[in-house]
Amino acid sequence: MRCVDAIDSPLVAPVILAEKLSKTFRVKVREPGLAGAVSALVRPRYRDVHAVRDVSFAIAPGEIVAFLGPNGAGKTTTLKMLTGLLYPSGGRVEVTGFTPWTGGSPFKRRIALVLGNRQQLAWDLPAEETFQLNRAIYDIPDAAYRERLAELVALLGLAEVLDKPVRQLSLGERMKCELAAALLHRPAILFLDEPTLGLDVTAQDAIRRFLAEYRDRHGATILLTSHYMQDVTALALRVLIINRGRLLYDGLLGALVARIARVKRIELVLGVGVTAEALGRFGTVRSFRSPNAVLEVPREEAAATSARVLAALPVADLSIQDPPIEEVIRQAFAEGSEAET
Amino acid sequence: MTRARGWVGTYAALIRNAWLVDLQYRAAIGLWLLWGITEPAIALGIWWAIASGGPVGGYARADFARYFFALMLVNQLTIAWDSWYLDRWIREGDLNFRLARPLNPIHESIADNIAYKARSGGVILVLWLLVALVWPAVRLSFDPARWALTALAVLLAGAMRFFISFTTGLLAFWTTRASAVMELHAGLALFLAGRVAPLSLLPPALASVAGVLWFRGMISFPVELLTGAVHGASQIQRGFAEQMVWLGLWFAAYRLAWSRGVRQYGAVGG
Repeated sequence: MRCVDAIDSPLVAPVILAEKLSKTFRVKVREPGLAGAVSALVRPRYRDVHAVRDVSFAIAPGEIVAFLGPNGAGKTTTLKMLTGLLYPSGGRVEVTGFTPWTGGSPFKRRIALVLGNRQQLAWDLPAEETFQLNRAIYDIPDAAYRERLAELVALLGLAEVLDKPVRQLSLGERMKCELAAALLHRPAILFLDEPTLGLDVTAQDAIRRFLAEYRDRHGATILLTSHYMQDVTALALRVLIINRGRLLYDGLLGALVARIARVKRIELVLGVGVTAEALGRFGTVRSFRSPNAVLEVPREEAAATSARVLAALPVADLSIQDPPIEEVIRQAFAEGSEAET
Repeated sequence: MTRARGWVGTYAALIRNAWLVDLQYRAAIGLWLLWGITEPAIALGIWWAIASGGPVGGYARADFARYFFALMLVNQLTIAWDSWYLDRWIREGDLNFRLARPLNPIHESIADNIAYKARSGGVILVLWLLVALVWPAVRLSFDPARWALTALAVLLAGAMRFFISFTTGLLAFWTTRASAVMELHAGLALFLAGRVAPLSLLPPALASVAGVLWFRGMISFPVELLTGAVHGASQIQRGFAEQMVWLGLWFAAYRLAWSRGVRQYGAVGG
C-alpha cells in the first residue's frame, strides 16, 4: 500500500523535499557462541540492512507532520538524513534549499534537532548555562537572546527551573529546557524525535500546547516522530507512515482513518434491562459493561443503525466515533506488511 | 573582525562551561592531578635510588630531579583525553546533537583542553615553584630564550598529542574496540615518550624508534629543551622540524578520519 491523500504537491515551494531517499547499513553477521566469534574474526560476513527504501515526500512551510512507524521502521534514520547526521545511500534531499550533509553552518542555523532520549543540556549545570553556550555558538545578538529566552521561559513555564542543575530536574522539565535550548536560534524547521517520550500526561500536554503555539507564532515547520497517538492527533493534520523502510502512507490523518477504518463505533449509555444479546442484533458488540456498551457497525450504516438502536432500546446517551487511532495505524502497518509479502 | 569576535565568544563560552563542569567534580580533578604528580614522582624516586652511586648515563641525581619536574609540567600541559570522549560520543550517540550544531565538535574538545591545561598546568607550576624554594636541585637557570623555545615546543607537543588522541578516538566510527588502540598507544608512549626514563637511557634501538616516530616530540623534546639536555641550534631545529612534520601528519590523519568517519557514521540511538 503506498497511498497519497490530499497532500501530494504543496502549492508553495516545499521546505523539506525527499526524493527516493534510501539508507542501507552494512551489518556484521556473527553466529552465537565461541566458534561464531572466532569465525567472525577470521572470515567476517556482512549483510545489508535496508533501513530506508525509496522514500519520497515534500513538506510545505509551517506544516506540522507526524512520522509514524513501529520500532525499527526507518523513521529516525530518515530524520537523521534530513538533518545531515547520516549520509544517505541513495536519493536526494533538500531542506530549506540546502543538501543537509553539505549545508554546513548556514544549514544548521536554520534547523533544530531534539532527540527525546539524548540531551544536549550539560547534566551538572543549570540549563541556563547551555542556553548561554548556544547563544555563543549560534551567534545570537544579546537583545534577541534576552527576548527569545523570555518568550520561551513564559511559554514553557521555566522561570522556576532555570537556575537548578539539570540533573535535579524532572523528565518533563528537562524536555522543556531541551526545547528552549534548541529554539533560541529561532530555527525555521524543527525535527523532533519522540519529544514526549516517557513524560507524564501533564508534561506531554504542555509540550504539545507549546509546539502548536510556537508554530502559530513563528511559522516554523515541524516534523516529529512519536509513539504517542495523542501527539499526532493534537498536533499533526498530516501523517507519514513508514514500515520496514518504505513509506506506506502520506496524507491527512482523517483521510487515513476513513480509508482504513471500515467500521464506526457507536458508544452507548443504555437504560435498565438491555442485554448484550439484544444489542448484538444491531452489530458487533465490542464491549458491554452495563450501562456502557460499544457497538461496531459498517461505516456507511452508522447513522441508520444508530436510529434503529434509539428506536428499539432505552438509550440514555449515544455517540458515533471512529475506532481509536492506534488501531487504525496498527491496521495500516499490517496492510502495508501484507502488501509487501 | 565580526567572525573573529564570534570565535572568541564561542571559545570563551566553551571554556567557561568546561570550568563550570570541573567545579562540579573537584574531587575527581584533584585525583587526576595527584596521578599526574605521582607517576613522575615515583619514577624520580627509582632513578634517585639508582643514581645513589653516581651519574647514570650522564644523569646525576639533581639532573633526574629537574627532568622529572619538567616532565610533570610538560605532561600536564600536553596531555589529551579526547580519545575516550570521542569513543563514547560515537558509540553512544552523544555525537548526534554535536553534529547538528553549527560548530565542528573538535572545537569543544580544543576548548576543553585549553580549560584543563590552564588549570592543571597552573597548579603544577605553583607546586614546582614552592618545591624549588626549599630544594635547589629542581631550580632552572633563568634563560628567557630557552623558555620561549620550550613554550613553542610545548604548544606543538600539545597540538600533536591532541590530534593523536582525537584521531584514535575517531576509530570508534569503524570499530567498537577503539579503546584498545588507545591503550596500546598510551603503553608505548609511557616508554618511548620519556615518561619513565630520559630517552638517552633507553636501549639504543628503542631510543631510535622513539626518535624516528612521533613519541619524542610528544613529551621528551620539550622536557629536554627546558632542562637544557638538548644543545646546539641544529639539534634544536631538528627537534622542532620533527614535531612539525608529525603534527602535520597527525592533522592530516584527523582530517581524513573525520571526513571518512562522518560519512559512514551510524548515528546510534535516538
